[in-house]
Parts: sequence; C-alpha cells; structure tokens
Amino acid sequence: MSNYIPTIGIEVHVELKTNTKIFSNAINGYGMGANTLTNVIDLGYPGTLPTINKEVIRQAIKAATVLNCEIRKDMHFDRKNYFYPDNPKNYQITQFNTPIGHDGYVLIEVDGVEKKIEIEEMHIEEDTCKSAHRGNVTLLDFNRAGVPLIEIVTKPCISSSEEAKLYIEKLREILLYAGISDCKMEEGSMRCDANVSIRPKESAPYGTKVEIKNIGSISNVGLSIQKEIMRQEKIYNNNETITPQTRRFDSKLNDTVLMRVKETGNDYRYFPEPDIPFIHLTDEDIREATKDIPMLPDERRKIYINKGITRVNSDKIINHREMSDFLNSFIESDLDFVVASNLLLGDIASYLNKTNKMLKDTLLSKEKFVVLVEKVKDNKLTSKNVKDIIEDIMEKDLTIDDIIEEKGITNITDNSIIESIVDKIIEDNMESVEDYKNGHDRSIKYLMGQIMKETKGQAEPRITMQLLKEKLDSLK
Amino acid sequence: MADRLTREEVEHVAKLARVEISDDEMEKYQVELKQILDEVMKINDVVLYDDEYMIAPWSVDSELRKDEVGDMLDAKDVLENVPRHSGNYIEVPVVLGE
Amino acid sequence: MRYLDKDIKEIHELLVSKKICPLDLVNEALELIEKNKDLNCFITVDKENAIEMANRLGEMEVDKDNLLFGIPIAIKDNIVTKGLRTTCASRMLDNFIPIYDACVVEKIKELNMIIIGKTNMDEFAMGSTSRTSYYKAPLNPWNKKMISGGSSGGSAVAVGARLVPLALGSDTGGSIRQPASYCGIVGMKPTYGRVSRFGLVAFASSLDQIGPMTKNVYENALLLNAIVGRDERDLTSSDKEKEDFTRLIGEDISGMRVAIPTYFISDIVEKEIKDKFNELKETLKKKNVIIDLVDIKYLENAVTLYQIIAMGEASSNLARFDGIRYGYSTPNPTDIDQLYLKTRREGFGNEVKRRIMVGSYLLSGENAQLYYNKALKIRDDMKKELMKVFEKYDLIIGPTTTTTAYSLDSDLDNPLKSYMDDVLVIPVNMAGLPAISIPIGFSNSKMPIGMHIIGKPFSEATIYKFASFIEKELNLDLNPERGDKDE
Repeated sequence: MSNYIPTIGIEVHVELKTNTKIFSNAINGYGMGANTLTNVIDLGYPGTLPTINKEVIRQAIKAATVLNCEIRKDMHFDRKNYFYPDNPKNYQITQFNTPIGHDGYVLIEVDGVEKKIEIEEMHIEEDTCKSAHRGNVTLLDFNRAGVPLIEIVTKPCISSSEEAKLYIEKLREILLYAGISDCKMEEGSMRCDANVSIRPKESAPYGTKVEIKNIGSISNVGLSIQKEIMRQEKIYNNNETITPQTRRFDSKLNDTVLMRVKETGNDYRYFPEPDIPFIHLTDEDIREATKDIPMLPDERRKIYINKGITRVNSDKIINHREMSDFLNSFIESDLDFVVASNLLLGDIASYLNKTNKMLKDTLLSKEKFVVLVEKVKDNKLTSKNVKDIIEDIMEKDLTIDDIIEEKGITNITDNSIIESIVDKIIEDNMESVEDYKNGHDRSIKYLMGQIMKETKGQAEPRITMQLLKEKLDSLK
Repeated sequence: MADRLTREEVEHVAKLARVEISDDEMEKYQVELKQILDEVMKINDVVLYDDEYMIAPWSVDSELRKDEVGDMLDAKDVLENVPRHSGNYIEVPVVLGE
Repeated sequence: MRYLDKDIKEIHELLVSKKICPLDLVNEALELIEKNKDLNCFITVDKENAIEMANRLGEMEVDKDNLLFGIPIAIKDNIVTKGLRTTCASRMLDNFIPIYDACVVEKIKELNMIIIGKTNMDEFAMGSTSRTSYYKAPLNPWNKKMISGGSSGGSAVAVGARLVPLALGSDTGGSIRQPASYCGIVGMKPTYGRVSRFGLVAFASSLDQIGPMTKNVYENALLLNAIVGRDERDLTSSDKEKEDFTRLIGEDISGMRVAIPTYFISDIVEKEIKDKFNELKETLKKKNVIIDLVDIKYLENAVTLYQIIAMGEASSNLARFDGIRYGYSTPNPTDIDQLYLKTRREGFGNEVKRRIMVGSYLLSGENAQLYYNKALKIRDDMKKELMKVFEKYDLIIGPTTTTTAYSLDSDLDNPLKSYMDDVLVIPVNMAGLPAISIPIGFSNSKMPIGMHIIGKPFSEATIYKFASFIEKELNLDLNPERGDKDE
C-alpha cells in the first residue's frame, strides 16, 4: 500500500464526426492519400480566412450537454501562438477565454461507489496536421489539419489510475452514444493526456506535475498512470526531486519515458481571433442541437438492471449499441428482458459475429423477436432448438412458427409423457442409477443423454432434468 | 526602473517570434522594446467608460456554414509552392522531441 | 492620343462607339508604365495576360451598363492573384505564385476589367513611406525626390501619374488615404466589412480593409460599387445590401452638419496644411454647411492602441511564413529551428521583423493581460466616443496628414515619426469607419494636400456626396505633368 496520494487531471481531445473541417469545407476524413483532403485554408495560405462549420457547433453543444456542462451562449475564438511544423498558421484557433462548456461532470463507479469526475471546461479547436519521422526528415500530411476537435479538461480530481481508466471508458461510452465522435484511440480520433502528481498526505501542497502525452489506448491510460505514480514514488522515497516534464508511455518498455523537460512556462500569447465574429447561441439552437441525443448508457444500465439483467450483461449490451437500441424499443412492453438479453448476447451475437453482420442486415423483426422470447420463456423452444433455427430466423422471411414447422421441431413438454420415458430409462440403466446414488454426479448426464436419444432430442431439457433428478433422489 | 530589457527578455521574445537577431539588433531591441513598453504602460491611466471591449469592428455575428463539402486541392496543387517535398508529403528537417 | 487620362465615362463611350478597343487602353498603359519605370510603382507587370484579356474583350460586345468594361486596373501586391506573382513587396514571397484569387480579384475579373499588374508597397504593408519594400521605394509623381506615402504607395503613384485610371489599395492605419493625400488622388477606406478580405494577405485582421484609389470621386464610388458585398468566405464581411455609391453625387450639401475634432487641427499639423484646410472650411460655411469644433476623447491614444493591436495581430498573422508550405525557404537548414530562424531572418526586412518583435513582446507573458485587454476596452470607448459625435453630425473632417510628402532620404529608422504620420488616420481603422482622402490643393513646394472625410459606418454614399461637392468647387488640375504647379 502506497503512502502517497496521487492527483490526476486528464485532457482528452476528441475528433468530431462531421462531413467537413471546422474552418474550411474540405472533407473531414481519415486514411486517404497524403495531402488530398485539403484546401488553401487548411494549408494556411496567405490571405485565407476561417469560416465556421455549423455542425461543429451543434456537436459541441451536444457534447457539453451530455457531459452536464453549463453552455456559454456568447462565445468567440482565440489564437494560441506557437511554432510547430504541424501547425500550418503557426497559431491554432481555439477557445481560451470563452470555452463553450464549463463546470460539468461525468459519473463513474469505483468499487460500487459513485464518484463525480468534475469537468473544468470543454472547448472547440482545430486539429494539427499529421507528421511522420523518417530518418533526418519529418513528413507532413495536412489531411488532418483543421479537423474539428473538442478538448475536455477535468479538474485535478482523479485519485487513482483505476479512476482515470474508468473515466476514459465512461467518457468514450457517452460520446459514442451521443454520436459525437467515433472515439477510436488507435486511429487518434480520441487522444488522452494525463497530468500526474503525488503528495505525501492530503494536507500537503500538490506535488510537481508531470504530463503524459498521447496515451494510445484505454488500457494504457490506467497502466501509464500507474507506472508514472510508481516512478514518482520512487523518486520521493530516494529524497530526490521531481522535475516538471512531458513523458510518453512506451508499451514495449511498459513504462513512461521522457519526451522533453518542460520549458519554464509556455508563452502562447493568446489573444481573441479577429477573423471570427461572436457566436451567439439561442435556446432554440441548443434545443435543436440536443433534440436527437439518445438515451445515454447510464440510464440504459439502470433500466436493464431494474428489469433483472445482470450488471455484466447490461454492460455487454451497452457495448453493442445496435443491440441496446433494439432492446430499448421494447422498454414499454412487458417483454422478458432477461430472456431477451440472453438471446441477444448468445445465439444472436454469435450469428452476427460469424456472419459479420449488423442486426439491421438481418430479417430479425421486432415481431419475430417477441415471439422468439415468448417461446423460449415458455419452454416451447429449447436452447438447442434456437441454435438449430437461428440462421433461419435471421435470414428467412418467415414467422417463428413457420420456421418451427418447417424444421419439424416438436418438443415434448407434457410432464406425464416425459415422466414415463424417465421411468423407462431408469429401469434400463440401473447401474448408472447405482453410480449416482454413490455420488457419481457424472452419471446423471449419461441418463439425460439416453433420454434425449430416446426422444430424438425433443424432450424439453429443463423439465426433463428436473423430473430425472426428482426420480433419482426419491430412489436414494 | 531600468531603461532597457535584459538580454534574456529579448532572447525570449525573439525565440517566441522565431526571429534571429544579431548582437547589434539585440542592443537596439533591449532599448526600443522598453521604450515601447513605457509608452504602452500609459494606457493604464486611461479612464474607461465601461468594461466592454472591442475585438474588431464587426457589424455581424458569425454566420455558420453548412456542413457541405466544397472544392479541394489536388496534391499537385498543394505542392505547387512547397520548397521541399517527398512524394506527396511536405518535408521539413526532422522534428525532435516527439 | 492619350485615353487613360480621360474620365471613365468618356473612355466607356469611346469603347461603346468602337472608336477604341480595350487593347488600345492596355497598350497605352503598358507604354506609360515602361516610360515611367523610374517611378517604380509596379512590382510585376502582367503584360501577356493583360494583352490576351484585351484581345478577348475586343471580340466581345461592350456591356453598355458596365462602365468598368475593359478598363485597366492595378492591384496592390498584397492582394492575391491566381497564377500571378504576389510578393507583398517581401523577399519572403518573391517567388510566390498564388493558387487562388482574392474575392475582389474575382469581382474585378467578372466585370471584365483588365489587371495590368501588381503595385509596389511597404513590405507586408508595414510602413507609411513604401520604403520598406524589398523592391525599393516608388517615387512621388509630383516630385521624384519625395516619398509616395504608404503602404499603398505604388497604387497611389500609378494612379497619380495617370499610368492607370484605377487601383486597389489596402488600409490598416491609413495606408490608402495617406499615400492618396501625398500623391494628389482620391483614396477611400470603406467601412470595416464592406469589402471581403478573403485573399488580402493579412497585416492586422481587425483593421485591414481593401479600398479604391482613383483620379476622382465619381470613379472611386464606381470602383467601390464593383468590389463590395457579403462574402461567405470572410465572416467579418457585412451583409449590407448592395447600393449605388454614386447615387448622392451632385446633391446639395447645404445644411449638412460637420464636426472638426480639435485634435485634428492642433499643433501636430503643419501650418500650410491647416491654412489650406481653413480656407476650405470658409468655403463650406458659405455653402451653409454647419461646422463645429468638437473634442473627441481617446483620439490621442490611437497610436498606442495601434502599437498593441496592429503589431500583436501582425506578429500572429506573419507567423505562417516559415519556409514550409510556400515562399522563401533558407537553403539547407540543419534542423527545424534553423529553418524557422534563417528563413525569417533572410526573408523578412528589418521593419517587418521589428513589428513582429514588438507585437510578440506586447502579447508575451503577462503583457496581454495587462495591456492588450485594456487596449481592446479603450478601442471600444473610442468607437463609442466617435459614434456620439455622429449622433449630432453627418461627417467628421480634418486634414488627412500632418505634413505633405517628405524627402525619400529622411530617416527611416524613426518608427515613432512614421506612426505620427498616421495619427489622424488610425482612429478610423480602430473604429472601423469609412473615410476618404481627397486633394484640396498644394503646398508652397507644390506637393498635394489632402482632406480627410470620415463618416459613420456604411455611410460611404454620404462621404462621396460631400467629397464630390468639394472636388467640383475646387476644380483642381491633378495631372502632375501639367498640374496646378503654378497655380
């Protein structure tokens, strides 16, 4: 157990899902040939001026809303001045004085306890171009220059690597659901920097801040912070001092490595961007932007758990957006959500995986699904039956009943019929019955197998098992 | 008060602006920037009407653009004025510290 | 036979009646430019394209409603022209061929005007003498030992010397009006937002405005008609509806109310300029113009605000010249910092570097918080103070400059002197107002004197009305070849 208290703040950059860039009407795209998605504005040509993409403002309003931020209705942009080859104008247009959102929060659950991760502010800005290092040169591709970003900055209120990871997971889930970004950390559409410091006790002043830049995956968020805390603890324990610096996580070394020692105070010479007049948001703008925000994961989770689905399965469904939306369309009905979720996460999920399809690519209609759930619930269909007919359900324009008929599925669910078969099998296999009595549980499976063989698999397994057990136990 | 900036102060500004200055210029800027600052500091004495500010004499608010794709440049046009390139990439001497 | 000295209306009639064709105009302009090469007012003359365009227009029917059809025009070299070198009078862009047209250039081309070439200027429009040009200073057509003024010096000289009838300039702190005054022509800085800045290489974005520079008031209004209008590519461009700026020209000005700020006729202005201005004031009074002296607060802060705001914005706007995507790039840089430092050291002239340094300094550290923000507040107050004057008066007038054009040999390295040249014109840019300079006579040494007429936002038509009245009343001969040299 560590003696130090970590203090962590996180900055996340998220690329917004739009057709065009923030300040120009070139395509906001990924994975195209170098320098094919640009115009004179993205290249910072002399004489060019920025325009503002309406969709960026809309998405930012949405983001501010789902992150529970206050929205600033009168805002402008600012210039952040610094020279870097990936920065075409050598200033970045951002929001320094009037970020669109402020004082928000994201709820996470740490060991069953809810915690608010407070968001200081979120603002809109432009992305830089992409650079790749080749020997003694750096190659620049301006396709990414001007891609719209929002930057979300937490207060230094995160106190463990686990919390940091949970926060990023939650943030990603929310932004994905709201359709704001595709949040692919591997492709860089979601990027994470963490500021980490430690101090010996709560009353001590904050320790020296170290920044970990460009953490490339969610699991590395937790890992890199954990390693950085350990590194800092070691320095403290050796009575050495921590220098302010920027580090990055090297997944091969499984540790953070030094990028650069911080210059004393960046001097970005911020001033208001004169090329972009004020933007005034009305209540109507905000209503319009937020009207299509779907139900967010936390609310879904609450509903699922209320309807009896386990936490783990609820999470699994929420991870599969389309499935969750499909399931949500039954919220008002009295569909059995437990059976429904088991079907979705079971045979339906494996079918989709196997065929690489989305639900919308199949012929599973809402009506069909309701019937399927009912049949399973009423033991009219066994799980084996479902496996047998899942392809037909997904691919054929037939009702469940039609499929059952076509496949000739007739399940024996009549207790008296099953009972007589059970009696017969017990009589024919007394040796196994003896084994069972002597505590060999395995033999019950053999007896079940015999019954299924006898009935060509048509005996409803749950009823059969129950009856078989009762019978055997009465013989004990 | 000193009548000039220190060398370090001028060096800091020159570095921010990426302007290389000679020793002569250094001398000149140490004095001149201080003179300008002294002049500029006088605005602290100006009494204001109110707290409102003007970024630019805008007569309009920003009109937001529809999210529709417009004309883009061919990579060939992008490279038109580029001093150094490698294939379709624009090239610069290696950037360290990344 | 010279045509270009005639009024555009006359030239137009000659074109319509087929007595001349556009090529005659282009040839005459090219000849005059060649003959007056020593004036050094063009950086690039686009001979080939101008002739080709003239030939093309020669085959077309002359558009009777378009007075500007086939008229040659010169463009300041900080307005980008697709395929035509645009240097900003800087080594940094000596080899720069833009790949797009500025909004105003598109408009000029749509109206079938003929671009003759790109005019000389102060490097990146930074200066009031045009002497900071990488291509050396243009000469004043009234006296070749004198400066043309700046930064739109080349455009003022080209029109003043009657090499072209029309030119475009840009005005950040008097850069159209001051050289217009020095060269005896009419120069208008329109209301901020009237003309799209898309394609104008930015000096100070909140102050820059493109405007017309012409021989007379009517043609100035005509050219302004051609270049205004909302441009989706410039968010700061106004959405005012199109209007005809010539419409009030010729109307009676009696009863108009005019204010003269005491600061504009204080001791900062040379006596013979004040005398000429006062003479005119008396004439106006006789025409029943109501003229009052007014005190306007904050005007004396304009130069300091300019230092902070214009230099600050400039230091940021000029950061893009880094030798990576276009323009000059130092040969064989060893690392990225060498690329930046050497490119900018070798590519920029001294005055540009100086202003970048000043701007960077005033934005650095705590300075932005301490001074930039305060400057923006004073700027707001200055505008409010001016707008209060416009509640009572139609126009504000004064001399355009404190002196007439001075010697080309005068000390260049005195920045404060240079800013003081612009002390009367800068407040107009700070508040985004429209203002014109028109010639009102000559000094004892036969150098032109200009008068400054400032209007409330979007009142250009009223300014033209007033200016045109004075022009008619004075009836000066403004051709330097003849001129009022011995009035």
